[in-house]
Amino acid sequence: MTIFLASLGFGLVTASVLAIAAVGFTLQFGVTDVLNLAYGAVMIAAAFIAYVVNQAGVSIWVGLVVAVAAGALGSVLLNAGVYTPFQRRGASPITMVIVSLGMTLIIEFGTQAIAGGTSVSYSMGQGPAVSADGLVLSTVQLVVIGLSVVVMAGTHVLLRYTRLGKAMRATAANKNLARNCGIRTARVITLTWAITGALCGLAGVVFAMDAGSFDATSTDLFLILILAATFLGGPGQAYGAMLGALVIGLATEISAAYITPSYKYVIAFVALLAMLGIRPSGLLGERAG
Amino acid sequence: MSAELRASGITAGYGGDPVIRDISLHVAPGQVVSLVGANGSGKSTLLKSLAGVVRPSAGTVMVGDRDLTGRAPEDVARAGVGYVPQVDDVFVPLTVRENLEMGGYLLRPSQVRARIEAVVMVFPRLGTMLTRQAGKLSGGERKMLAMGRVLMLEPAVFLLDEPTANLAPAVARTLLEEHVRRLASDGAAVLIVEQRARAVLAISDRTYVLAGGEVRMTGTPAELSVSPAFVESFLGGTVAR
Amino acid sequence: MSSYYLINLLVYAAVDAMACLGLSQQFGVGGVTNFGFIIFQAAGGYMAAILALPDASANGGFQSYIGGLNLPFPVPWIGAAVAGGALALPFTFLVGRRLRGDFAAVGLLVTAVLLNLLVTNYRPLLNGDAGLSLIPQPLQGEFDPTSSSYQWIFTAGAIVCCALVYLLVSRITNSPYGRSLRAMRDNDTVADSLGKNLLAMRTTMLVTGGAIAGLSGGILVSYITTWSPAAWGYAETVVLFAAVIIGGAGNHLGAVLGAVLVPVGFEEVTRYIPTSNSLPPNLIPSLEWVAIGLLIVIFLWVRPQGILPERRRVIREAGTGLADTAPAAAAAVPVPAGPPPPESVTAAARPEGQRGSPDPQGPRSGEVVLRAVEVTREFGGVCAVAGVSFEVRHGTVTGLIGPNGAGKSTLLAMLAGTLPVSAGQISYLDQDVTGLPAYRRARLGLIRTFQLASEFKRLTVLENLLSAVPVNGGDSMRGALAGPRYWRGDEQAAIARARTLLKRFGLDELANSYAGDLSGGQRRLVEIMRALMAEPQMLLLDEPMAGVHPNLARRIGGELMSLAAEGLTVLMVEHELAIMDEFCDPVIAMAEGAVLAQGTMADLRGRAEVVEAYLVG
Repeated sequence: MTIFLASLGFGLVTASVLAIAAVGFTLQFGVTDVLNLAYGAVMIAAAFIAYVVNQAGVSIWVGLVVAVAAGALGSVLLNAGVYTPFQRRGASPITMVIVSLGMTLIIEFGTQAIAGGTSVSYSMGQGPAVSADGLVLSTVQLVVIGLSVVVMAGTHVLLRYTRLGKAMRATAANKNLARNCGIRTARVITLTWAITGALCGLAGVVFAMDAGSFDATSTDLFLILILAATFLGGPGQAYGAMLGALVIGLATEISAAYITPSYKYVIAFVALLAMLGIRPSGLLGERAG
Repeated sequence: MSAELRASGITAGYGGDPVIRDISLHVAPGQVVSLVGANGSGKSTLLKSLAGVVRPSAGTVMVGDRDLTGRAPEDVARAGVGYVPQVDDVFVPLTVRENLEMGGYLLRPSQVRARIEAVVMVFPRLGTMLTRQAGKLSGGERKMLAMGRVLMLEPAVFLLDEPTANLAPAVARTLLEEHVRRLASDGAAVLIVEQRARAVLAISDRTYVLAGGEVRMTGTPAELSVSPAFVESFLGGTVAR
Repeated sequence: MSSYYLINLLVYAAVDAMACLGLSQQFGVGGVTNFGFIIFQAAGGYMAAILALPDASANGGFQSYIGGLNLPFPVPWIGAAVAGGALALPFTFLVGRRLRGDFAAVGLLVTAVLLNLLVTNYRPLLNGDAGLSLIPQPLQGEFDPTSSSYQWIFTAGAIVCCALVYLLVSRITNSPYGRSLRAMRDNDTVADSLGKNLLAMRTTMLVTGGAIAGLSGGILVSYITTWSPAAWGYAETVVLFAAVIIGGAGNHLGAVLGAVLVPVGFEEVTRYIPTSNSLPPNLIPSLEWVAIGLLIVIFLWVRPQGILPERRRVIREAGTGLADTAPAAAAAVPVPAGPPPPESVTAAARPEGQRGSPDPQGPRSGEVVLRAVEVTREFGGVCAVAGVSFEVRHGTVTGLIGPNGAGKSTLLAMLAGTLPVSAGQISYLDQDVTGLPAYRRARLGLIRTFQLASEFKRLTVLENLLSAVPVNGGDSMRGALAGPRYWRGDEQAAIARARTLLKRFGLDELANSYAGDLSGGQRRLVEIMRALMAEPQMLLLDEPMAGVHPNLARRIGGELMSLAAEGLTVLMVEHELAIMDEFCDPVIAMAEGAVLAQGTMADLRGRAEVVEAYLVG
């Protein structure tokens, strides 16, 4: 039982990191109709920015704030400078995905060129361990879970109750009609990328915290989890991403306790392929006729 | 708020040859003006160029004394023009209430609730289904929601693209005679595109007949319904010239 | 320059070119985007290795792996190609029609990442992270692999294999099958409606590309004698895509050029960058990747067609053969001119001995060709078509009218098979086709056209017409591989028919222009001619006259009537009511998803409910 509880704990942390990341990723798709495969690369770049700040002697939590801002700015530039011009030209979804792969190489290996190939870690304490009933988590892990809950609640409030959130949903549902309502969709899209970019930066830092040590290629595998969570819930569905993150995060870590840990990604992989083959619109999405 | 809609010399298309050429019309406040013609005559394209969805290659669009030619749809909407497109006319994944809230996006939050209540008074059916997802509505209910969405802002000018398509004749008649007519009597300028010429003629102050991308004739319902040329140009289309 | 260096360069060039040719065929011609391409090369490499290696206990058992059959050359290379092709089969579910291209591509990308992870971690399979080494080279028992002559012969062998692959993919692409692949790439829905089996073609592309990639892996492994997961990370696929895009997708020579410029070119350029200890060791490789990413994005923006774009296939007038301006070898064989083009389009649409000619077992005049019974389409709470029933009789041009939103296009789509029915039956020639997919109905002679532009943009007008021909020996992988001699006859006959049609409709001047460059009305004509080329028994036309000059519309109507007299059945959706007057009898009127009435146009004009609902409603 202890193994199960311990893996449950890991699962919650993974699910938390994944939830922050997947919500950002799926909203980007919802509003722009682009699978931004460079998302993982932006995450790790943000993680490194936090590292640089951390190395300068500043607390990692300050680094986190800087990384969040960098993620927001970088993502806005990525969309405005790369994706939007291609879309304006009428590029097909395949072309867009190849472009996003190209951007992944540029950002990921650009980070590697600057930061070097060796693994690094943040200088931070894990804080006292908290245990309840055999479930043991460090303070930092609890903070990560807490951040994730805040993000999910905030996303819920944003989408359901704020003017911007509703404009985001309208733009994702029917961009032309949104414009006919007077919504400045270009501005909404920019703000969406800023917010999801911030989530991306945040996800990168907490990912690095959870992983302990990381290098520029660490998010390659994590992108699979993000894709699995997104497609499980349905691309473009924020609540679906949260659900998918919980399922994938828990399933991955709990299965790791019982089969060799190196294969824990297999579950995500199978889930993703199953969804693509059976129900690409996801569990919460509209079934395509 | 009231304003006159005036279009002069509009030429527009979708890249390639223009679909409509040199079209001029005007709609005064309190008037219902209809646009009829066979399919492919350019009615929808004209409406889209007035709503900012399509940019005209020539001509001007004036609402009151504001020049809205070639402006983006969101700016046209902010200038007091309410456009109901023919298809994709509601936000499918959003609820009825949220659709109306989107319609009232430009309003102050305190005004939104009052306007929703006002719209529900016009369309009581909508009031019974505020929490239903728009994608689950029937054809007629959807059209009502589309109109209701536009009503939220009480625009000075209405552009309606075939609002009765898909509706049973009785429902269509009600929509036209009660609701569309009332928009005008409340002071707005209403430009309505329809295929059901006779039904819309009954509520129009003036009608333009489009064929082959140009205005073939125009007149009051009384003048047109006794004109043999009217029936012919509407039915014959471009082939039997 | 040492000969070792040159040999190394040439072998890598041959292997990379081969892989790029496989990708060019799969992606550039077939339109299948496979972001996991590298795993097929990996499969080939590993298969060649485990077939050639001795049992795992050899050499002190320092490696663990499956296989180890110690088989002699050329078995490992053959096995490599087979492994690459076989690996494609489990993934065919991703390339069926229903999934968005970018989603499917991502599925394959994820597979590549994961397989690399699995092989790395599960050591007993293929020796994990360390990979396999000491892989025997071909015939190393008989000859000395370190000798210069062996190396040169190996190099020659690799180049010969690459040349053979080039000939193979060229043969496929320049055949009628290749044309069907390109049509599928340009517009898969339309290709489906013309009888092309999309799933089969995409599966074939996956397998072919996989086999070629596998072979390239086998050759590479035989040269470098080692193979580990580091050699086939997911990013290697991106390099190959960059090569094909930069060289020119859809042009096999472009693929070879891309291979020389990108994978090989990069290797060579970095060799000459001076290394210095002040630079971090990872910098150059990292910047290489950045450069590849930049090249991809820049090329897609500035020159998406690549350095050597796909060639426009010009088909000369009868007598000079089928090849375009390319190498004399193919065109040198004098080909007898095709049969003298028949004068009337009706004959062109119904050549002797083919499916369309009057068939004694076929339906006779007046018999029911198509029957719809209570056909319904409901989606998302909206009922677009509600319980429609009617019959279309042989030899008629039947019209279908109704206001916007009446459900006409939805009904047509269900009759053609592009949209599934929610309820009801459709029977065609007394056969229940309700569950039959569109391409199967097309093969039975039920052909549809589309309301919006549906020409194959990157095929010429003539190719558009030829793509619809239902019986062409070259329109299958087997036929393509058999070569031009096998399908030349069918092709010549088809070209003759097509040219007659083009002359009839006045577009023969534009036969070799890209269909995407034509005006709206011209494109509409191409679509109608293409439908006629498919030798239909029944045509479902969706607003065929929209955007067409009135005189030409009249001529089209006249042709349809003559064809109907010869046995063609037509169901035509139209808004131009004058067309209904002139050419259609009977006419079915719909409104709000249901049939209102049926009769001649004159009858309908006299019926109050029709007039109310539609005419001047």
